[in-house]
Amino acid sequence: MSEQYDETSIGVLEGMDRIRKKPGMYIGNVSDGSALHHLIWEVVDNSVDEHLAGHCKTITVKLHADGSCSVRDDGRGIPVGIHPDKGISAATLVMTELHAGGKFNNNSYATSAGTHGVGVTAVNAVSEYLSLDVWREGGHFHQDFVRGEFSKDIVRVGDSAEMGTRVRFKPDAEIFAIVLDFSSELVEKRLRQMAFLNSGLRIVYHDERGAKEPQEFFYEDGAIAYVNYLNEGKNTLHAPAFFRGDHETMIDDRMQKIRVECALQWTDSYHEVCAAHTNNTHQTNGGTHVTGLRSALTRTINKYAQSNNLLKETKGTALSGDDVREGLTVVLSLHHPHPSYKDQPKTELVVQDAKGAVEAVIAEGLARFFEENPKLAKIIVDRGVLAAQARAAAARARELVTRKGALDISSLPGKLADCQERDPAKCELYIVEGDSAGGSAKQGRDRKTQAILPLRGKILNVERVRRERVLQNQEVGTLIMALGAGIAETFDPEKIRYHKICVMTDADVDGSHIRTLLLTFFARQMPEIIERGYLYIAQPPLFGIKRGKKIVYVKDEQALAQRLIDAGIEGVRLVCGEQVIDGEPLRKLALDQHRAQSLLGHHGSRVDVRILGALIRSGVSLSRDVFDSEEKLQALADTLSAQVALENPELMPLKQLIEDDPGVGRKRLIVRARNGSGVRSVIDEDLMISSEVRELDAIYQRARALGPLPWKLVDEKLRETPVAQIERLYWVIDERGRKGADIQRYKGLGEMSADQLWETTMNPENRVLLKVRVQDAVSMDKTLTLLMGDEVEPRRNFIEKNALNVRNLDI
Amino acid sequence: MNALTRAPCPTCRTLTVAIRSENPTAPFCSTRCKLVDLGRWLDESYGVPAPLAEDEDELESLPVSNARRGDT
Repeated sequence: MSEQYDETSIGVLEGMDRIRKKPGMYIGNVSDGSALHHLIWEVVDNSVDEHLAGHCKTITVKLHADGSCSVRDDGRGIPVGIHPDKGISAATLVMTELHAGGKFNNNSYATSAGTHGVGVTAVNAVSEYLSLDVWREGGHFHQDFVRGEFSKDIVRVGDSAEMGTRVRFKPDAEIFAIVLDFSSELVEKRLRQMAFLNSGLRIVYHDERGAKEPQEFFYEDGAIAYVNYLNEGKNTLHAPAFFRGDHETMIDDRMQKIRVECALQWTDSYHEVCAAHTNNTHQTNGGTHVTGLRSALTRTINKYAQSNNLLKETKGTALSGDDVREGLTVVLSLHHPHPSYKDQPKTELVVQDAKGAVEAVIAEGLARFFEENPKLAKIIVDRGVLAAQARAAAARARELVTRKGALDISSLPGKLADCQERDPAKCELYIVEGDSAGGSAKQGRDRKTQAILPLRGKILNVERVRRERVLQNQEVGTLIMALGAGIAETFDPEKIRYHKICVMTDADVDGSHIRTLLLTFFARQMPEIIERGYLYIAQPPLFGIKRGKKIVYVKDEQALAQRLIDAGIEGVRLVCGEQVIDGEPLRKLALDQHRAQSLLGHHGSRVDVRILGALIRSGVSLSRDVFDSEEKLQALADTLSAQVALENPELMPLKQLIEDDPGVGRKRLIVRARNGSGVRSVIDEDLMISSEVRELDAIYQRARALGPLPWKLVDEKLRETPVAQIERLYWVIDERGRKGADIQRYKGLGEMSADQLWETTMNPENRVLLKVRVQDAVSMDKTLTLLMGDEVEPRRNFIEKNALNVRNLDI
Repeated sequence: MNALTRAPCPTCRTLTVAIRSENPTAPFCSTRCKLVDLGRWLDESYGVPAPLAEDEDELESLPVSNARRGDT
């Protein structure tokens, strides 16, 4: 002991004292736990460096019950021989002297994470005790330290065939006064990360303070495993891609390799996760390597997108870095022989050559990955395109609502004729199709509470063959501003200026399309308006029935038919055999017949209306069992033929064929008029059980039950009108109803005068407003999707079907 | 009701919970897709078929039916 107490040792003691007095300079903050855990990292880093040098396969980290930590590796073991200059064991030197160790010389360790000698010395200095065990050269060596000082030299305690180093230390309570307990979770996370970053390194972790089992972290493809770990629970778009490359560059006047490893994977989330490391240390603030990565991503993705024509939606505008990185998780690991950092905790890499190295490796790897996975590349580019569109839209939305004075009523666009009232609960906004109707509405409205916004859309020619109506950009903007509640993230339903928003469009196909557009816009962008029950559909009349000076307005065909029936049955009774019917039962009978006509008129393309009509009217039993046998079906065919001959002789002769109904195991009847030249009608079980046919059958059965034909209609003056067929009844009554009435059909809102519009559609006393419900909005959205669809056939079918149904979109 | 609870996001077609109490951005899967949609409205990208001058009359002359299919 006394021999070694020379100036060298004094220097060591001074070093130890300096660390203990100012630990923050060497190991970080001692009061928040960061320095405490840093002790473990320092020791582990030394072992990892042994792994990087190719000598260590397993590192075992234990947290002991006495508050100490031990780190054991199976590396070469710290040299124990006497250092030629210092006269003490090299191992002792490493433990006690600042800046001792093999890491300033890049020949021993090409790359390392450790703090180049400060680390383990500092750990020793701030430890209540530290015991060092080294296994090498066939022996087991041991030395103890107390607060960095040793009283005995390192000694060989026995023979051993093992290799490696073990450091066990207990942080000194004098220094770590506030936080003295290791966080198991933190240690586990760090060790797992080390294993991810060092493929092939096995790290065993055992927290012996509790009853926990040892854990083992070992990954063959660490970066990929790390990405998988970071993306746990997320929906990923593909298996992680992995790139590795060595970039040669001049460092310290000679060619050296910078190794780049990178695993990346896109998820459907919106967050970017980037774990960047240099020599196993995580840079929370990124740095030059991250800059290189980002630049490579943006450049490569845009290049691929452009050359594959994937930027149509952005009109060729390149995607930004943020766009392409949305949802991206990256693990980047750099091994650099001489890194430099902005700060001591190494949170940001500043060494310049890292940028070029990473950029080159990633750009090449990613380009190849895209070429090999074109489908995936498209998905990734499309995501970026969506992100770019969202960004652009957000900017436009902001511009729209923050435009100077946009929410100031006086600055509202000229087209809006606002109301005088300011209480939203009393205010109504009419969105009116077309300028002329808008003009009438402005004249006819109640200025106090009703505001008018005319809207006409704009027709675009799409690919020459298609003409489309769209809401003009300006109109959408005006609508948003008129409502005064903002849009997108600024939308606040509390600020909506009208608690009744009425969509008023023409009763034609075009009108229904505009209505679909508007409702879909509200449902998608302002669903609160519908949920709060603010959105309505105005119901302008389709017909006016004028008798003398009195006009009655009705909203649709059905209502018109009812009105005419009401008028037609006045003062008449129907004599059918024994029975006499009038009033309500007669009205019902006529309505039934009206319904039957429309059911027949509505039937699809599988059957000729005249054939189906004849079948129903023939009175034949329409039960399913007629399809059981050829005989029964033949009987039905004969009856049908006779009925058609009676009603429509021009269709005769019929060509009838009984055949097997494929897939059902029954028969069916195929009928063609005019000896096969007419429309093919399929009469099968499907048809018979359809709700239309069953309803038709029921209507006719009810009517037949009244009494044998012919019936007769008798009026007040006892004039008789014969009714030879059941369906004649409706026509006779309808004709009576039309007598003395002038029926006007309004093709559009523009055909009505301001007074008429007010009287029928806007006057709260008379009008009928349909409140739009949430489920209506859903069906509107579906409608729009269909209307806009690219598939021509379903689209045309849909439009044709809805042309019939304009007034009855299920709303 | 199932069809109502999950539907494709109008922007990206991902199957999405369409009930606003469970998904505030419904019918969209995300705020982002909702924004993209807004951008498309402002871009005049959403169009419905507009009648050609000649078939406007044709459409008008089709019988308007009051049948309420499927009501029974």
